[in-house]
Amino acid sequence: MTGPKLEQRIEPEEELALPNVLTTRLDLALNWFRKSSVWYLLFATACCGIELMQTGGPRTDLDRFGAVFRSSPRQSDLLIVAGTITYKMADRVRLIYNQMPQPKYVIAMGSCANCGGLFTPSYSVVNGVDKIIPVDFYLPGCPPRPEALNEALIKVQEKIQGEPWFKKIKVAR
Amino acid sequence: MDAAQIHARLVERFAEAVLGFEQELIDPAIAVAAGRIREIAQYLRDDAALQMDFLRCLTGVDRRETLEVVYHLLSTVHLHTIVLKVQVAPDGARVDSVWDLWRTAEWYEREAFDLLGIGFTGHPDLRRIMMPDDWEGHPLRKDYVFSGEYHGITAERSDGLDAFGAPATDKKAAQARGAAAAAAPPSAEEPSATAATVSAEVAETTSPVEPPVAAEKTPRIDEPGESPSTGKASRLSPPTAFQPAMHTAKADPVEGYIQLNMGPHHPASHGVLNFLLFTDGEILSRVIPDVGYLHRGMEKLAESMPYASTMPYTDRIDYLASMFGNWGWALAAEKLLGIEVPPRAEFCRVIAGELNRIASHLIGTGSTSLDLGAFTPFVHWLRERETVNDIMEMICGARLTYNYMRIGGVARDISQQVVDKTRRWLDHFLGIIDEFDRLISFNEIFVKRLANVAVISPQDALSWGLVGPNLRASGVAWDLRRAEPYSVYPELQFDLVLGKGWRGQVGDAYDRFYCRIEEMRQSVGILRQAFDRMPEGEIRAELPRKIKPAANEVYSRVESARGEMGFYVVSDGTDKPYRARYRTGSFTSMSIIEHLSPGLMVADLVALIGSLDVIAPEVDR
Repeated sequence: MTGPKLEQRIEPEEELALPNVLTTRLDLALNWFRKSSVWYLLFATACCGIELMQTGGPRTDLDRFGAVFRSSPRQSDLLIVAGTITYKMADRVRLIYNQMPQPKYVIAMGSCANCGGLFTPSYSVVNGVDKIIPVDFYLPGCPPRPEALNEALIKVQEKIQGEPWFKKIKVAR
Repeated sequence: MDAAQIHARLVERFAEAVLGFEQELIDPAIAVAAGRIREIAQYLRDDAALQMDFLRCLTGVDRRETLEVVYHLLSTVHLHTIVLKVQVAPDGARVDSVWDLWRTAEWYEREAFDLLGIGFTGHPDLRRIMMPDDWEGHPLRKDYVFSGEYHGITAERSDGLDAFGAPATDKKAAQARGAAAAAAPPSAEEPSATAATVSAEVAETTSPVEPPVAAEKTPRIDEPGESPSTGKASRLSPPTAFQPAMHTAKADPVEGYIQLNMGPHHPASHGVLNFLLFTDGEILSRVIPDVGYLHRGMEKLAESMPYASTMPYTDRIDYLASMFGNWGWALAAEKLLGIEVPPRAEFCRVIAGELNRIASHLIGTGSTSLDLGAFTPFVHWLRERETVNDIMEMICGARLTYNYMRIGGVARDISQQVVDKTRRWLDHFLGIIDEFDRLISFNEIFVKRLANVAVISPQDALSWGLVGPNLRASGVAWDLRRAEPYSVYPELQFDLVLGKGWRGQVGDAYDRFYCRIEEMRQSVGILRQAFDRMPEGEIRAELPRKIKPAANEVYSRVESARGEMGFYVVSDGTDKPYRARYRTGSFTSMSIIEHLSPGLMVADLVALIGSLDVIAPEVDR
């Protein structure tokens, strides 16, 4: 999945065509590094957290994509909000998000994080984590299957791969 | 001793304080005078012939003109139960606390205070437990209306529909919504007036939604949500200065101790649980659990929908053991309706339940080892759990939230294919348990982390209302499958696993851990017997389409993976429960942590939480 895309963009120039040397654009290479080590925060608040664990487990194995779980937001690139967020928890979610270093990505996993899900009519549940923090990807399901979470991670990787890093420099020239 | 005899004894002793006896209820209740409850409770607990040593559940019911405090008492010695009821006026009146008779009452009373606004005289620490300290109102009151906004977060939906997905009834709001409402998916029907008691009022109080931006170029995934407190929540906006509110009014700083906040997001806290630690170096002087971060208001939700519709919600009370939530709820409705479940359905329930018990203990024991630093055993258990998930998917179509049981039976039959696959897996699994034992259970480092840590005596375990493996690890032979048999458990052979002090003392963290391993072995045996004995036949009883039980009250209970899961359901003769109350094992397990913590090391606290196998949604509901 990662290989062909990168190869397409490679434009070997005559003087640099040495053995074992590939040339590519710097942002493509950097994005490739970044997307291959998306570390996600183990932020399991409810039922979806169990499927998040199973996704990290042997069958689906998010580790294949370079995604390993971290326990601290300060070491994480990706916040997977796995479960219901209550009003009591809301401030803490914002704090955790603010503790993560830039650039950061958020997956709202499951119906509760998307919109409140089953608990939308409840007096204590925030109807969607996007009321508190910005969300990149909404993953439906109650709870989503590990395959679905896997797909969401791939979407995050695609987003990372497509991000222009040096846009500003180009404009300046 | 049955309820009538207990009533007779109470009348003999406390003549005028006994106000009534509701014998026609499924669980007969005795109404007593509010001023005498403590005296009567003490008598019930201490009298040799009664010995009500276990407070199953303490809760309140809003009867509109009065508030009712309900005590479910049980004697584990004499195997009899009784329900006590006390009426108090809705505003200002108080009841005497019974927290020192049954220590578990301390948290139950806090919960009744928080959610129903019942005061308890003599309670050492009466403050909110589920809702934030600055929350207004008591949500389980019948006249409670949520303001629709808390700390700047509003409850309105971004698509302008009401909470049930139907167009909001407010016409002005609908006009302002304009295109958004027109483009909304057609809703099946208007919510009935009673169905939307919470939501309709929320919709009315919230302001009209702004019309959406026409022609959205970017997909929704890139649109950050709006949060009034921070303005437009944007990736580029600087982090707002944020002061986390401490929901720990009780905790005054103690001279000479370090105050440490653990959670609510902590890898070893099993979901969103918060602990406030006071430590002297590595030694804990006190740990204050702070719960409610996953309080989803399920009891209130159950009041707003028909009996059958609550079934999916019961999955999520304890998502690691969803079957038992289903089971308890189905049992409650069946008792209220007085219907019999076909034998094959009972076997389907036992099979699904015991499989679920294994799946739950896999996470329970696995995460204990993970919390103590052993990652590999946990991954082994996850691998095994995938197979259980596959089997569950074959049985009911879901991996985690099963929604398998129905009032009067089960949703689908268990096929021969499932039986064969499960039998094959069970043969394999028994070997894997032995491997797990060699890998971690008998690992010396692991044993030393758990043995003799946080010993719970049988008296404490009963007083704090521990249930399930936590209670049995302390040497108390109490299992609802045996003590108050339900379903087809009387036909099945299995041993009660009691704590033996395998590596230390009876009732230590290792016993609680190893009890769960042994229970998985017992569950394998139960499953094999159930497969052998399962009869052919119907899987669901004949039921009317609309379920309307007569006015009655029931406390149904099942032995969940975390112990007794009780459903106290009050029916008022309509198709919706008047009050539903879930009694869960993790809630009481959490409450004992403060008692056990003084003198433990900080690292022992992780072992203690892991060994109690608490799970956040069960604590908070």
